[in-house]
This record gives sequence, C-alpha cells and structure tokens, in this order.
Amino acid sequence: MLVTLEDAKKLIEKGKVLHIAADESLLEQLPKGNWIAGTTPYFITEQGGITCKDKLFVNEMDCAVEHKISVYDKDNIFDITKDSYSNGITFLVMPFASDVAVYFAKEAPNSGDLLMNPTVGWITGFDLSTDASAKVFDGSSGKSYGDKAVALHICLPDDKIANLGIVNIFNIDEGDTKIEFTEDTLSVKKCLINGKEMFLYDYILENKINTQLPLVADYNGTYINVSIKSVSEEDKTVDLYAPVFSGKVYRFSSPVSDYAVSFAEQLKEFKDLKPIFSCNCILNYLYGELEGKATPPFAGPVTFGEIAYQLLNQTLVYAVVTDK
Amino acid sequence: MDLDLVFKKLIKKQVNYQSDNLGLNLLITRLRSKYAKKPTPDELENCLQEMKAFFSKYSSILQKDIEMLKRL
Repeated sequence: MLVTLEDAKKLIEKGKVLHIAADESLLEQLPKGNWIAGTTPYFITEQGGITCKDKLFVNEMDCAVEHKISVYDKDNIFDITKDSYSNGITFLVMPFASDVAVYFAKEAPNSGDLLMNPTVGWITGFDLSTDASAKVFDGSSGKSYGDKAVALHICLPDDKIANLGIVNIFNIDEGDTKIEFTEDTLSVKKCLINGKEMFLYDYILENKINTQLPLVADYNGTYINVSIKSVSEEDKTVDLYAPVFSGKVYRFSSPVSDYAVSFAEQLKEFKDLKPIFSCNCILNYLYGELEGKATPPFAGPVTFGEIAYQLLNQTLVYAVVTDK
Repeated sequence: MDLDLVFKKLIKKQVNYQSDNLGLNLLITRLRSKYAKKPTPDELENCLQEMKAFFSKYSSILQKDIEMLKRL
C-alpha cells in the first residue's frame, strides 16, 4: 500500500516488519527499525501506475514469526541461503548495476539452494529523468548502500509456506529463429542463429527486430526473458539487462500490441490471489505505458530487474504465503 | 509408478512434465542441464536427491504435480 512518510514512520515505530520502496529522499528520513528498502519513484498501485516522490510503498510482513536483516556483497551473496529460515521467505533488494547484482544475475541459476529457500525481490532504481543512483537501505542500522544487497529473512509459522510466481506477457513462436550463445554473458557479440555464427547486432539490424521485445528462453514451460539494454553500432555489441546462458535456446518474443490488455488477460486467473509482495519491470511500465493502469491483484514497486529465485526481466513477480 | 523412477526419467529427459510451479520448472531445467553435462549414475543420484528434497519441502503445494507425475 502507498502511504505517507508520517504513516510509514508510525508503522516502523510500532515495530512492524516492513519492505519499503520509495524515493531516496523519503527513505533517508525513516527511523531505524525492522525494515529494508530500495529506491524507485515508480509504482503500480491499486489505482494504477504512478511516478511519485512523496509517498512510500509498504508491504507489512504480518506473517513473520521471526525475522533478521542481513547485508551482502559480491563475495558472500549466496550466504543468503545459509541465513534464511528453514520455513521462510527472503526479500532481497540490490542496486541496479552493482557488482553484487551482476554476480547474482550470472550465478543464481546454478544455485540449487536458492530453490529450497524462496528468494524474491528486485533491482532498485531511480528517476530516469535525473542523474540519481540506485540505493538499498538496511532499516535496522539506518545505513544505505549503492554497492551491497540487503535481505529481510522472514520465518513463517509452521502451518504456512511461501511460494513464488511470475506473470510474463511475452510469448514465443516455436518455429521462430533459434538464438544460442557460447558463453554465459551480459554482453553479446557473436551468437549462433539457427546454428550459424553471426553478430547478434547484425541479426537485429537485418531483421528489423524491435529491441523493446525480450529474448525468451523456455525453462520447462516457464518463459524467462532477457531484455536488451543497448546495441552498439561501433563495436557490434548487444548489452543485456540479465545474462544469457550457453546451452539455452532463445527466441525473440512475439510482438505485444497492448501491454495493459495482455496483463489483464493473464491476470484473470489470479483474481483470488492475495500476494504479500509483487513488483513489475520498468520496461513494462515504460514500453507498455502502464501509468494510470492497474494490474490487480498485484501492486508494488516498478523495478530495474525482478528476482524470483534468479534475476528476471520484463516480468511481474509475486510472493504468496499459503496454508500447508 | 514409483516417484523416484519418474524423477529419474524426468532428469534424463525420457519423459516430459511441465508444472504451474515456477520453482519446480526451474529445478527440472537445472537438474536436466546438470545431468546432461555429466551423465553418470552418481550424478543421477545427486539430481534425484535434490528433486526429492524439493518435493519433500513443498509437498503441500505440489500435490497436483505429484498426482500428475505418478501417472507418467
């Protein structure tokens, strides 16, 4: 829910366990307490998408029977699975373009432990019309970081369990061109197009590919996106917001004519869901013109990357806590 | 069918099963890739143990998957 600074302070002073998303100028004014936060001025609320620097989006973790807050860097980020509760959920926030976020993006899919410990969260961002930078906050110490990750580990009651899900409006045509990569990377030059080596840059140019559409890989029926960050004519490099992995087959997504309609179509099956957290991607917000448009039952920060066990792009991520 | 046997077939790509559960789909993908890189009995056993641990932890939300897998 979107609240005023005063209301957020009251929740903290009551000792509530909170996940918060807001502009840095507001987060700096919060008292110490049981909270973590990340920076973004973009939100999708119950009333629709907004850009807002005078309110904070707060998730109250009423389901927590116990909690702890930990700070990580690139060298120990995968300790999150050691620190998490055996029956719990971990909320993770990492600053955009930080070393820890890049390392997590590349290595998380290789971690079996993450799948045993539901980890959900987001890559924090900033107002794209300014030269601000992304930050994360550890409310227990009051410290903020641009180069570290902060996690809120929640212990759930014995009769409850956490589950994560995604909503991806992008689709692929199985008959479409196969794109494969020879290494795990965030920056691509050459790749295999239907088995033939060529520059991805040339393929995009020659086929007039809309780079607002992500590359999509099929993970056993779940589509996982990789978004294009930039293409460089100078050195024929294509930079990505999440890594591509060798051994996976990618295809460019089929076009999406209306993001809000596509979300509405997919969200029908979730109407009775009561998520404790959700977030959606800044690229969906911008390309899909989601300002003023709601995605019920999901509301939350608009992010520079989404985390559901691993880093995702152009995806709505959610967490639920259900009875066992 | 014995679930262990189904899990082994799933890991070896001898049967296919797609879940609605994100974690399970990511796990199947990871274990198939892991086994494909090192297709030995020991690795198969390692993958099987990971799969069993996942199902043990999440049995309450994977009941539908368990029933469907038994039918494979």
